[in-house]
Amino acid sequence: MFLQQLINGISVGGIYALIATGYALIYSLLGFSNWAHGEVAMFGAYIALTLVTRLSSPFLGALAFGILAAGVASVLNEKIAYKHIRDKGSPTMFLMIAAMGISTTYQNGAMVVFGPKFQMFPSMFDVTTIQLGSVSIGILDVISLITSAIALILLELLVNKSKVGLGIRTVASNSYTASLMGININRYFSLVFLIAGLLAGSAGVLLGLKYSVYPTMGNVGLKAFIASVLGGLGSVRGAIIGAIIIGVLETFVSGYLNSGLRDLFTFGLLILILLIKPSGLMGVDVEDKA
Amino acid sequence: MSGYWQEIFVLVGINFIVVLGVSILTGFTKLFSFGNAGFMSIGAYTSAILTTRFNVPFLLAVLAGAILAGLVGYGLGSLTLGLKGDYFLITTLGFGECVRVLFEYIQPVTGGAGGLSGITHYTDFTIVAISVVVAFIFAWTLIHSKYGRNLTAIREQEVAADAVGINTFKNKLLAFVVSAVYAGWAGGLYAHHLTYLEPKIFNLAKSAELTITTVIGGLGSLTGSFLGTCVVTLLPEVFRDLSTYRMLLYGIAVVVIITVKPSGLYGYKEFSITKIIRWFKNLSKRTSGTVEKGA
Amino acid sequence: MQINGLNKNFGGVKAIDSFNLQLEKGKIHGLIGPNGAGKTTIFNTITGIYKPDAGEIRFKGKDVTGLKPFQVAQLGVGRTFQNIRLFATLNVMENVLIASNLDITYNMLDSFLRLPKYKKEEKALREKAMELLKIVGLQDLVDAQANSLPYGHQRKLEIARAVALNPSLLLLDEPAAGMNKEESVELVEFIKEIKERFDLTVLMIEHHMDVVAGLCDHVTVLNFGKTIASGRLDEVKNNKMVVEAYLGEEK
Repeated sequence: MFLQQLINGISVGGIYALIATGYALIYSLLGFSNWAHGEVAMFGAYIALTLVTRLSSPFLGALAFGILAAGVASVLNEKIAYKHIRDKGSPTMFLMIAAMGISTTYQNGAMVVFGPKFQMFPSMFDVTTIQLGSVSIGILDVISLITSAIALILLELLVNKSKVGLGIRTVASNSYTASLMGININRYFSLVFLIAGLLAGSAGVLLGLKYSVYPTMGNVGLKAFIASVLGGLGSVRGAIIGAIIIGVLETFVSGYLNSGLRDLFTFGLLILILLIKPSGLMGVDVEDKA
Repeated sequence: MSGYWQEIFVLVGINFIVVLGVSILTGFTKLFSFGNAGFMSIGAYTSAILTTRFNVPFLLAVLAGAILAGLVGYGLGSLTLGLKGDYFLITTLGFGECVRVLFEYIQPVTGGAGGLSGITHYTDFTIVAISVVVAFIFAWTLIHSKYGRNLTAIREQEVAADAVGINTFKNKLLAFVVSAVYAGWAGGLYAHHLTYLEPKIFNLAKSAELTITTVIGGLGSLTGSFLGTCVVTLLPEVFRDLSTYRMLLYGIAVVVIITVKPSGLYGYKEFSITKIIRWFKNLSKRTSGTVEKGA
Repeated sequence: MQINGLNKNFGGVKAIDSFNLQLEKGKIHGLIGPNGAGKTTIFNTITGIYKPDAGEIRFKGKDVTGLKPFQVAQLGVGRTFQNIRLFATLNVMENVLIASNLDITYNMLDSFLRLPKYKKEEKALREKAMELLKIVGLQDLVDAQANSLPYGHQRKLEIARAVALNPSLLLLDEPAAGMNKEESVELVEFIKEIKERFDLTVLMIEHHMDVVAGLCDHVTVLNFGKTIASGRLDEVKNNKMVVEAYLGEEK
């Protein structure tokens, strides 16, 4: 039972991590939490669902297209709103307010277009479970765990080992200096929104397959936001660790106590950690330069 | 005034009181919070439980709700206002959600997710009118005093505010507590207007709506907050067909305003009779000037 | 103001290394050195923005090390910033009023009911602010938005704001930055006048040597966080280490 809960928790945490890393990436470049990011996941899920149910597209192709659509949506959010606010030199709070507006727009847009009901993907995988000794895991959990793991490893390699990653890290450390060095920082901003969007889209599709698709499913972005804050804003590894902690915590609270209390524990843990370490688990304490 | 318009006035009035609090917090102090629906919920449930279960007089119950919201705001703010922007935001968001989950969980007291019904309809035109006047005058005098100047200084340039001796933490706490008290107060009035409460009325979307109203009206302006409240509350009443698209439109409006014209309808200035008179005087001077030139 | 053995590290780099300073009342003291020498870091440590890793800062006989920025300000240390930090969208008058808020003793009830105490104090405050603005020559611009002012006026307003705090010590971070020769000559006179008028002790960071020469009774030269020379400007000017530090800096 314990081991099974743990694996379920990590699997859920993996999905959170896909979104949380997007928060971390965007924060490291732009210094704000783009918490319309969960809505991007929702958007990807709806596109994939629509392709499968209405246009009876090939299943995997539809999923891939949904993920791609989420990536594009994420870049559009940046191009349409955030970029203009940055160009005007407005305070960071305006970016957060814009994110709130975008999130409201997506949620209510989905409500208008797709209706408030919960929709399911046609079941592609039988509800089979894999038996490992005394532990039985749903096949979807295994798939989602493997997918998240692959995506996160690819992300780690991209950020830390590739030339593009070096560029991203340069812009993140100081976008002004980077622009003086002749780096086209706006290209990197778009790129990071694209990567973040693709990751969020994957999360959206996985969540849709596992549970269902509905207009407010983007609220999972809040969990991911908490995970990224817990791990330390701007830290990709911190976000992954934070996401897994939250996934496991939630699964255990639901399993052993009461699923209604899940969020209470999550937020309790968050506030506790912030009080002990105000910049999260892996965040760096930067003193503002005056 | 007909019953319908009284009803509308009551709704606008209640919303205006909460929005005034958000306006002081977000528009004047540049603190972005998602906890205000939570404070509203505390005021609403406290007062409703006091009047229904303990026969406490209505006004006293509303006052108790507002004070409790303020105390919780003081406690929460003391813990979290030292945190930077995003970290602070997430704790207020967490607070709002926790209040909701908690009220759903303590069913014996609050009626849980099923709701709390049988609240007497005490909130009438008079009490809302008096509340709005008092809330507005307090907000206005606060903004137009050293307190308000300290808050705008924090909004404009926090490091410099510190450098001229402003205790930024204490002043942020002041703004946070005032916004909590306003939310609790409005919550109490709302409970005895609706006569029925559910924790999910005060969800995240409600907090977002409050900030949306403030932004549409215009940050840094109490006049703007009034306009914003009128627009957001009245539009769906006037155009019934729009109600499905209501939040979609507001979402789009906020994105457009904050990217294109961050001052909203009437931001960073206040309506003032003297200014209008001055404007007309200047106008007449200018016109008489041209007449003289012409002659 | 007295500073003993001040140290501040950023990620292993010594931004300030055993810095000592003794300010004499009523004098103007200069802090010079190439970019990145740690001058602004010293300001930020004095004013409480950074916590020092070691050392002691005493002001008016009191230990002020590690106090919060607003506490240091309340004790009477006013400052300006290298990259001007005005309350940008507020007007000139409001910028000065905010800095004089410490003069006010009325409470929230006085202001809510607009009691005589509120009216009296607000009136006195505005008069004081107006007087100050006259002294700095911004009296005709009271309603202008701070960020709409020309650069030189913004510098003056920032100094006026610092003075409105009633400080006894004024820290000026590159007041002549971005000014031409003519403007900096005017600035020298302006700072002298302000200093006399408000009985101030001044510590200033400056690159313009003519401004330093025109104002400073005493200078301290920093390089890589270390004090390399200290004394009258003509004494340190020919110091070998100072010349080396400035080589290639073209100042």
